Amino acid sequence: MHDKKLSPVQTVIMGLALIIVLFPVFWILMTAIKPPTDWNASPAIWVPSEPTFVNFQTLFDPEALGKYGVGGVSQPATRAVFGSLLATIVSTTLSVFIGLFSAIGISRYGNNSKSTPLVILSGRMFPPAAIAVPFVIIFSNIGLIDSYTGLIAIYVAVTLPFSTWMLKSFVDDLPRQIEEAAMIDGRSKLAAHLTVTIPLIKGGLFATTMFIFILNWSEFMFALVLSYSNISTIPVQLAKYVTATAGTLYGVQAALAVLAMIPLVIVGYLIQGHLARGMTFGAIKQ
Amino acid sequence: MTQTPSSTSPSGKGLSNKAIARIFTVPGQVVSVLVLVMPLLVALYMSFTDWSPTRGSLFDAFFVGFENYSELLVYDTRFIYAVIRTFLISSVCLCLEFTFGLGLAVLFMRKFRGKSVLFSAFLTPMMILPVVVGYIFWMLFQSNGPINQMLEFCFGAEAAMEWFKHAPTAIFAVIITEVWHWTPLFFLILLSGLNSVPENPVRAAVILGANPRQVFWRVVMPTLKPVIIVAFVIRAMEVIKLFDEVYMLTRGGPGSSTETISLYIYKLAFNDFQLAYGAAAAFLVLVGSLLLVHMLLAPVRDQLLEGDN
Repeated sequence: MHDKKLSPVQTVIMGLALIIVLFPVFWILMTAIKPPTDWNASPAIWVPSEPTFVNFQTLFDPEALGKYGVGGVSQPATRAVFGSLLATIVSTTLSVFIGLFSAIGISRYGNNSKSTPLVILSGRMFPPAAIAVPFVIIFSNIGLIDSYTGLIAIYVAVTLPFSTWMLKSFVDDLPRQIEEAAMIDGRSKLAAHLTVTIPLIKGGLFATTMFIFILNWSEFMFALVLSYSNISTIPVQLAKYVTATAGTLYGVQAALAVLAMIPLVIVGYLIQGHLARGMTFGAIKQ
Repeated sequence: MTQTPSSTSPSGKGLSNKAIARIFTVPGQVVSVLVLVMPLLVALYMSFTDWSPTRGSLFDAFFVGFENYSELLVYDTRFIYAVIRTFLISSVCLCLEFTFGLGLAVLFMRKFRGKSVLFSAFLTPMMILPVVVGYIFWMLFQSNGPINQMLEFCFGAEAAMEWFKHAPTAIFAVIITEVWHWTPLFFLILLSGLNSVPENPVRAAVILGANPRQVFWRVVMPTLKPVIIVAFVIRAMEVIKLFDEVYMLTRGGPGSSTETISLYIYKLAFNDFQLAYGAAAAFLVLVGSLLLVHMLLAPVRDQLLEGDN
């Protein structure tokens, strides 16, 4: 079954599937470079006659649309971009760091309880909305609401099972004998892990970091319910643009959407071989 | 921390295995307890009260027993419909994603030019943020958007419709969005499964005179079964949480006809500020999902725990 070629019918099916997969991406890219006159044209304009970067400019300088006689956005996206970068980078670093040690701990010294992994997995099953309710109550009592500290704490907690489990699958793949050899040479267990285990799973560590980055950068609901006036992230800002402007600023919204997806698509292609491993907690290896 | 001589392991010096395991896993456990278990306990406490933000401190809440729960389970049809709807949308999405993903994975078992480029292209949707996916499809389904334009082109002017104004079409839009977004994950998982099907049994079956259909159903599928179950369980866990795309597409509308469990709890707690009632709903969903996930996981327990000590 490995060596047959595609039949003509199959080629056509593949082509159609490719169009369906790529069309929405094409549409958002085109909308992001449409001038205001093309935004909401009826019938819709597929390829703008005069492509422009004014939508991207407007995200950071609300006056940029002035030359088209269109009022800009009420709120520049600067703060949201900063917020997304801050929350994502800090929480990804923390999640991977804590997850790394948990992964080595579980993989090498495992707590023999078979249920622990399942408890952690179950933690991922909870709808964010169900966790968000108590979070908001607690955070408003201890002053962590509308703060990056609170947001980062949640991000670390919800991505920790992923980073632990993905890293554990990489540590599991590594033969124990390599570490044991270092220990026989006189190194302590901790030193053996620091100098042998961690360098040997470098690739896996990178893939995990990027995967957790994707999860944190995409997160929407916690940021939505925790942010009022002090903090914002790109997904929240996008949702607000759509509500506040009732679809009149298509181009600017699309520009923000493109800005949000570019880093993820790049990161996603970099680790595409590991995406399945991350999504399935290491149960599917490639 | 003082160093104690290892008593268990012949290799290496320093702390015992148990101590190392504890030190390594403690930070993770602390985070889980603080940020997951504690909120759950608070939610449980809240769900038996009538607390609302206007009442001030958490301790000023008034106990109402199981009132919130009986209200939800007996009288709140909006909640019950949201639960049923979430399961229906999830099942339809999973079946479609599986079918399309498997079809595509089977095509990728053949030889053709540009395979690696196409492989990456087909993975693109799952690399895009759910919010952005929701936004993109919201634009596509606008009344003067490209989908209506194509429908008009193919079937005439009356084929165009207001997708978000009617319940069936709005649900259809949600399903299409979700299927577009996550079929690539099934494709990815099933392709790696197909690639690991050993060749010898397949060859043997062919020599024994099996036709391609028999080979697929009798030889390939049984080997693929564990992979399929893992894929289904993982996707089921995610799709039950469906929120971002629906929020961007319909906000649950028209009326409450596209509300998922997550969206309903969100509206209860953060639009209507019925936090105690929302906490009860949240807690019900937590217990329900816990039971469900353990049922779903039962057949793949060993698969997921593989490589454990």
